[in-house]
Amino acid sequence: MDIVVCVKHVPDTTEAEIAIRDDERGIKQAGLVFDISEADNYAIEEALLLKEEFGGSITVLTVGPEEADETLRMCLAKGVEQAARLTDERFEGSDSFATARVLAEAIKDMDYDLVLTGVQADDDGSAQVGVTLAEMLGIPHAALVVSTEAEEDEDRMTVHRELEGGLHEVLEIELPALLTIQTGINEPRYASIFGIRKAMKKQIEILDLDDLELAEEAVGEAGSKTSLVKLFIPVVTAQATILEGSPEEVSSELATILKNEGVV
Amino acid sequence: MLRTRKFVEQYDLLGCIQCGRCTAGCPLSLTSPLNIRSIIYQALVRDKLDVKQMPEIWDCTTCSTCTLRCPKGLDPAMILVGMRRVMTEGGRVKPTVRDALESTFKFGNPWNRGKAKRADWAQDLNLKNLAEGAEAEILYFVGCTPSYDDRVQAVTRAMVKAFEKAGVDFGILGNEEICCGSEMRRLGEEGLFEFLVEENLELFKRYDIKRMVTTSPHCYNTFKNEYEGLDFEVQHYTQFVADLIERGELAFSGEVPPTMKVVTYQDPCFLGKQNGVYDEPRAILQSIPGLKFVDFDRSRERSLCCEGGGGRMWVEASSTSGERLAETRVKDALALGAEVIATACPFCMLTLEDAVKTTGAEGAIEILDIMELVAQAM
Amino acid sequence: MGEIFVLAEHRQGELRDITFEMLGKGQELAAAMDAPLAAVLLGHGVEDFATELTKHANQVLSIEDERLEHFNSAAYQQVLAHLIAERQPCLVLMGQSAYGMDLAPSLATQLDLPLATDCVGLEFEDGQLFAVREMYGGKVSARIAFRQADTYMATVRQAAFPFEEGEPLGGEVIAVDSPLTEEIKYRKFLEYVEAAVGDVDITQAEVVVAVGRGIKEGDNLPLVEKLAEALGGALAGSRPVIDAGWLPPDRQVGQSGKTVKPKLYLAIGISGASQHVVGMKAASTIVAINKDPDAPIFKVAHYGIVDDLFKVVPALTEQLGG
Repeated sequence: MDIVVCVKHVPDTTEAEIAIRDDERGIKQAGLVFDISEADNYAIEEALLLKEEFGGSITVLTVGPEEADETLRMCLAKGVEQAARLTDERFEGSDSFATARVLAEAIKDMDYDLVLTGVQADDDGSAQVGVTLAEMLGIPHAALVVSTEAEEDEDRMTVHRELEGGLHEVLEIELPALLTIQTGINEPRYASIFGIRKAMKKQIEILDLDDLELAEEAVGEAGSKTSLVKLFIPVVTAQATILEGSPEEVSSELATILKNEGVV
Repeated sequence: MLRTRKFVEQYDLLGCIQCGRCTAGCPLSLTSPLNIRSIIYQALVRDKLDVKQMPEIWDCTTCSTCTLRCPKGLDPAMILVGMRRVMTEGGRVKPTVRDALESTFKFGNPWNRGKAKRADWAQDLNLKNLAEGAEAEILYFVGCTPSYDDRVQAVTRAMVKAFEKAGVDFGILGNEEICCGSEMRRLGEEGLFEFLVEENLELFKRYDIKRMVTTSPHCYNTFKNEYEGLDFEVQHYTQFVADLIERGELAFSGEVPPTMKVVTYQDPCFLGKQNGVYDEPRAILQSIPGLKFVDFDRSRERSLCCEGGGGRMWVEASSTSGERLAETRVKDALALGAEVIATACPFCMLTLEDAVKTTGAEGAIEILDIMELVAQAM
Repeated sequence: MGEIFVLAEHRQGELRDITFEMLGKGQELAAAMDAPLAAVLLGHGVEDFATELTKHANQVLSIEDERLEHFNSAAYQQVLAHLIAERQPCLVLMGQSAYGMDLAPSLATQLDLPLATDCVGLEFEDGQLFAVREMYGGKVSARIAFRQADTYMATVRQAAFPFEEGEPLGGEVIAVDSPLTEEIKYRKFLEYVEAAVGDVDITQAEVVVAVGRGIKEGDNLPLVEKLAEALGGALAGSRPVIDAGWLPPDRQVGQSGKTVKPKLYLAIGISGASQHVVGMKAASTIVAINKDPDAPIFKVAHYGIVDDLFKVVPALTEQLGG
């Protein structure tokens, strides 16, 4: 089973203070640690598990700057066969649609049974690229996949989609198809430093706009259907009454509040 | 899959006479199927070992009792680490281990805490930050757990209080401090360890570090014995503070603090067994007015491992039968009539604190670091 | 001015809340644009839903087809593409839900419509549509402009827009013929699988004590269990806690878990990501305990304690006589 996985190299913002750039079009990156987007990591693992069962080859793609090589090498270290980075200044300002365009162009002439992406990226959380990409490639798709089942030499897969309330929608999908993978579907393996070093020997293919034979108008701001006006720190309208003091003091205050409110 | 021929050569296993002193002294053999002698035997007689089928190798705390006892000078604890390497380097580790390793690489600590929060414990203390241009004689290397863990931060603050009282010229690296890598090496992530060694040596060079004192015996042990190219003096705080007291630079107020009690001491494996530091911690405790010191029967080289080392802070035991070693220790202390177990290691502190709760001994016995006792008496 | 479409969401015999939330927002937008509001209902045997929806829209476009009995984004896409091409609405609204996420991007691509997802704000300015969405785990907001178009598409975050029952609009039901001709072979609905049912139904509990990543490991749960006991409440968790296997799936609160409306909701070590908040924001009293003063949970909570849960939880348990 030959699989293409699309991943994104994103900042880890847990416990990090986010500051907006002066131009209000991005966040300050100094001091931020970057890593593969969480759901994409699960997608890579799912691809590896499917390969372990059915054989085949995995290619990982990303649209990103040179620093994204870190994430690609980690994927190579885990057992992905090939990696390609789609990089070009002219991709700047691309929204999800334009980004999917770039990926579609790179993938359309490849031989694959399955394309996997994460459900959504940790930075923008749009959850658009995967399903948009499927439409551009003209293949069926299913989003929010939490389990996959395939048979040897079968041209279809059974997948579970995660609905609200813990309900699963079970469906059958014809291959080649695109699935957006939800976190928790599996337990991602570890990529050791030695493994990553060994992976340095594998070449990462780098493609730019000209390599993809896409017109400049199809990417960047020109190729986007939405644009970012500005970023801002949300104004908090409702805010919690913060109780202050030692653990004993706040607990006592809270217990009193809860008793007065009749919840205890 | 471990191919044993090269492994046997690399770890000099042909020197093993199968006497079994290692297993006989192994504290884990009480509760785990871990049998180090038998594992070495398997490595000697088989071509291949399926390390995946040997979950007990993850029970080892690398306390090194086995190494201490081996008549042939072998290092069985590191042999087990060598086996762990096969799995870790292949990416096959438990999720908790994976998370600790990934966190250390990304954030410089195994606790998934932000880099920018590492020095939060020192927020209002006005300490010299050697990474921000300040200069001092001594680098106080705080360590990951003492920086981020709320319980252990009390130790760090007590340390700083004592240093200031004694007029020690010290500084910290603040948010630039990163993990020493001791536990990462012991989890089999040799590549990550090498990476941390490089980063740390570079850091120490950049800020012209000439002398270091650590909170944790793990940091102490690895900097002192495992960092090639580190050319300055490294001490554990017990050595440093014992010296301060001896030279009269740290004096106690003379009044017996109302909380002074019967105190016993948990020799940390990485300080005692592995580096022979037994007297200095005792000297400190015995100089505290009103403190009545009583030693465990199993003390010094025979100290019972708390089960915190060797990466065990991130690994569940392979079998759940039997008492955790820290629980045994708490019971030993109670039987001794001790009211406090003094610790000199953040992992001992945390595992013993947990054990106090799980044995229902809360209120009967307290776990306090030596520096917390010192701070009380100052 | 073309209509504003709101795609009605229903499952297992019920119209989902997001439908009404969108209709509420839709009414606001329709008034601003002087456009009619149309609820779009796809299904099989859904006449009752159509009647219900007439209270909240000027029209209910109802497409009845056996093939639409269960949601299948492939079928929905075919029907909606046809409907949108025919009626040229100015805006198509869907929920950022398991249905919307599976459908909106491909439909928008097929019809070349600008799309913004997971919107928490939407407004027209001189005929151009603008949205507000969140980024970086809710720490930053973004104002997004749609490229000028005749038809826009947006998906709306669940529970982001409050719905208040107002005067019924008295809309009419318009039956639209289903354009579906053949069976869709490339994607087939097989069945629903219910989440495993455990011993406790957290949706029925008056008090819910939920833990998040801040608990650090499953071994620390007993600490919070004691608090739950002292309060007579049910223990629940956010997604990461369930993913890690520390609590079973039927204890998950959040978009992909359960929605709870207890008298008291205690969020312990939970950051407050939107997917979690959507499952509990309707609780009467929300108390959050989290070390991080910037955690988004404090925006939703009524009371907050910014401190280490490992200190506060035992102290609170003691106060409550646990």
